[in-house]
Amino acid sequence: MSWLMKSLLGPGVWGVCFSAVYGLHGLGCARGWSDLTIAPSSVHHFAMLGTWLAGIGACALLVIVLPRGGGMQNQLPRAGAWIGLGAVVFTLFPILVASSC
Amino acid sequence: MTAPDKGFTLSPNPPQHALHLHRELNRVWANDRGWWGQITAVNHTTLGLRFMATALVFFAIGGVLAMMLRAQLATPAGVFLDTELYNQIFTMHGSIMMFLFAIPMLEGLGIWLLPKILGTRDMAFPRLTALGYWCYLFGGLIMLTALLFGVAPRDGWFMYTPLSGATHSPGINADIWLLGVTFVEISALAAAIEITVTILRQRPPGMTLTRMPLFAWYMLGTSVMMLVGFPPLILGSVLLEVERAFNWPFFEVARGGDPLLWQHLFWLFGHPEVYIIFLPAAGAISTIIPVMCRTQIVGYGAIVAAILALVFLSFGLWVHHMFTVGIPHMALAFFSAASALVAVPTAVQIFAWIGTMWRGQPQMHLPMLHIMGFFLTFVMGGLTGVMLAIVPFNWQAHDTAFVTAHLHYVLIGGFVFPMMAAASYWMPLISGRGRIKGLGEAAFWVILLGFHGTFFVMHLTGLVGMPRRIDTYPDNPEWIWLNLTSSIFSFVLTIGFALFAIDMVLQALLGPRTPRDPWKGQTLDWAMMRPTPSYTFASLSTRPLTPGQPAGEVALRLARGEGLLPGAPRGRREFLVTEIGTGRPDHVAILPGNTALPLAMSAMIGGFVLLMLAGLYILTPLALAGVGVLIWRWGRSLTTPHDHPPVSIAPELSLPVHHHSRATLVQSGIVCLLVANGTLFASLLFGLGFLTVVAPNWPAPLPLRGGMTEAILTVAAVGALALGSLAVRLRIGVVPAITGLAVNLLALALVATLAAMALHDPTNHARDALRAVLTGYAGLHVLMSAGFAGFVWQMALRGELSPNRPGVVANWRLVQDYTTVTAAIVALVVIWQGIAG
Ligand code: HEM
Ligand SMILES: [Cu+2]
Repeated sequence: MSWLMKSLLGPGVWGVCFSAVYGLHGLGCARGWSDLTIAPSSVHHFAMLGTWLAGIGACALLVIVLPRGGGMQNQLPRAGAWIGLGAVVFTLFPILVASSC
Repeated sequence: MTAPDKGFTLSPNPPQHALHLHRELNRVWANDRGWWGQITAVNHTTLGLRFMATALVFFAIGGVLAMMLRAQLATPAGVFLDTELYNQIFTMHGSIMMFLFAIPMLEGLGIWLLPKILGTRDMAFPRLTALGYWCYLFGGLIMLTALLFGVAPRDGWFMYTPLSGATHSPGINADIWLLGVTFVEISALAAAIEITVTILRQRPPGMTLTRMPLFAWYMLGTSVMMLVGFPPLILGSVLLEVERAFNWPFFEVARGGDPLLWQHLFWLFGHPEVYIIFLPAAGAISTIIPVMCRTQIVGYGAIVAAILALVFLSFGLWVHHMFTVGIPHMALAFFSAASALVAVPTAVQIFAWIGTMWRGQPQMHLPMLHIMGFFLTFVMGGLTGVMLAIVPFNWQAHDTAFVTAHLHYVLIGGFVFPMMAAASYWMPLISGRGRIKGLGEAAFWVILLGFHGTFFVMHLTGLVGMPRRIDTYPDNPEWIWLNLTSSIFSFVLTIGFALFAIDMVLQALLGPRTPRDPWKGQTLDWAMMRPTPSYTFASLSTRPLTPGQPAGEVALRLARGEGLLPGAPRGRREFLVTEIGTGRPDHVAILPGNTALPLAMSAMIGGFVLLMLAGLYILTPLALAGVGVLIWRWGRSLTTPHDHPPVSIAPELSLPVHHHSRATLVQSGIVCLLVANGTLFASLLFGLGFLTVVAPNWPAPLPLRGGMTEAILTVAAVGALALGSLAVRLRIGVVPAITGLAVNLLALALVATLAAMALHDPTNHARDALRAVLTGYAGLHVLMSAGFAGFVWQMALRGELSPNRPGVVANWRLVQDYTTVTAAIVALVVIWQGIAG
């Protein structure tokens, strides 16, 4: 995979994860998934939570596997992975605190 | 893959007589003489300057409109404009400033500067540059004409439906906006494509992406954002225009549409737009600060990472413009968090700039003054932006003058000040002349005073409750003084801009000649001879500048031909194309010369727009056919009947010309175009999903038509296209071309049959309208693939097709595969709708 693509990976994961959670949220609210409860929460909530955790996992994996050191060549893809991780965690943490619909 | 950091040591060519080289190159690269030469010009220096000059004219017009607004608001019951005219004028002010000033200005700067800063000879697609310019000019003129005749758009620069729908805006005002802006956006897409390709493929050998000047990084971020940001707007405009013209409901609630879809599509473009405008400005700042401070930029890597973050994150904020439309809490929180997060990369850049100034010795030349103006203004705009991102505050301040104040702090602080810095910095390169002392400084201080006087007060006006977009306020005497103050200072601001313009003109005409490289610049643009020659460099640099090396040092060597590819001994426009990641020399591109084809093409598109505006819909296919013919001619001029020998670029290195390369610039350009097109398609699917899930009047009343027969025909159409994708993969020759043409035509016939058999009248319901649009999208692409196959077949008949020249077929393959994949997705969606009911 080309260097440029590697650098886009981290933020790309954020993009996919953010869109997926936003889509799930809209879909779930419209289709009433939030009323289908599984203790301690709803199907809706769990679906979003699962997607979020998957996104965090993917970014964390990137942080682990992308090579360290070695100047800008390696630093930018790693920076991208960190950007992805930070953005996934920060922009989607409302899943934990806000009410769904 | 190999680490792209390795340098290349290419030994230079022997020196030649600089004047001789200059004459030889100029014969090949210069514009034709006289007026005709202006019409056929495709050169980036000519067109970049022309873009910027035209943008300045529109800035002046937008400014005059702003003065009319301020004159009206100076007193509570102004009689200068009536409400209708006031609405037209603020809409046109906003639209002109955004679409006809800011975007073209940054395109012009990129087009003018990038080839120089990257040390190449022109943009990747010079004719596309010209096409973009003409589309911009004609689209802008259509909008201005509408203003003169009093039929300008009046629904605000974001054109919310239902206000802009057929019921509330029956005249052609809204159509002017939708068609005019879309026409102008052709130039944005054209610029985005060629800026991306130029940056990725035309750097000097060994200039890896990580050694690229920051300006190029910023422009790369901008152009990628434009590729992804404009398609949602274009889609929204097309859908709204189709709704208005043909009564297909997309945004009308009663028939299954939803006005919120417009808001989503608009802001999906609209928020990234702010960063599209800001990034090039930041690129100029990052270039100017180190030079003015006699040091190197601090935190190159951090800035690149910040750009990367901004490009992505800015697409996750759009809903913050819709906080008041009743979106569930959790979604609000996502977008609020993203809005807060985006401050981080912005802050990283600001700290890098401050660090650079700290490390160096800032010299308060005029460009630096404007950068100080930028800091002051933009930081304040950022603070009010953070305030607006806080949801409860947003509910208070939404649609008040506070928002107007905020957006001007951001736009004028973040774009106009940096552009003035850029103008005064690059003026010696443009005109070869220096400034007349004092005038520019005076202009700066007047502008700074006028700006803050006008807009700081406007925050307060908003906080005491004055809504934006009102033309009188007879019952609110407490707003009088605030408004009067704003209006008075806005005239000070105008005087400041006038002084700035006078300074520029005087400098160009009367300024003293400056030495080459007066600032000791750190980028290759300052290694040019002056006045800037049409071909930029007599020979191309063998490697990037080393950090801290003044560009002026290499100027003479390049002018004497001691670089790569000296002169124009073959009488063709040539430059070097390198690989994306490594900067390894790949092939030599031969560019087309001066031509009026771009003008003809944009005139034809303009004809289409005018026919739409006039409501002569039945004649529009003629204009479209004309566009098709011109595209064909455009492509014909890229073909060649015979092989070409390799070209020597340095004593020990010869490279093939682009005809013999697979990875041509055109191929990179088509990839970019398909990225933009794919975004448009994704936005369309988003629209379908959004309406299906959210719009109130769903499901549609009429059950879907069609059963087994239709499903089989659909699968057959996709199958035919898959055969097409197979055919392009065969050995290059006449059989695959004919096969490709035949299966595409078959698929086209099937799509047409299906449209006739299975579609309901699209005016019934949004579902039917969207099905028709999806079918039309697939049909159009099948037509395009058929055209490509036909083109290749014609080449085969003329004996122009050869396995040694694989470019055309490689490009056809890209388009054919795109068609197959999108058609398959459309088929799946349609069939799934049938199953899900
Ligand atoms: C030359 C100094 C300028 C002045 C005095 C000025 C003044 C104004 C005023 C008074 C309004 C509000 C109209 C209303 O809501 O009633 C406005 C709106 C706006 N301005 Fe400016 N402006 C200036 C420059 C700019 C620039 C440089 C840009 C963009 C690059 C810009 C973009 C906008 C936009 C997008 C709107 C919103 C239009 C709408 O509500 O649809 N303005 N301006
Ligand atoms: Cu925004």
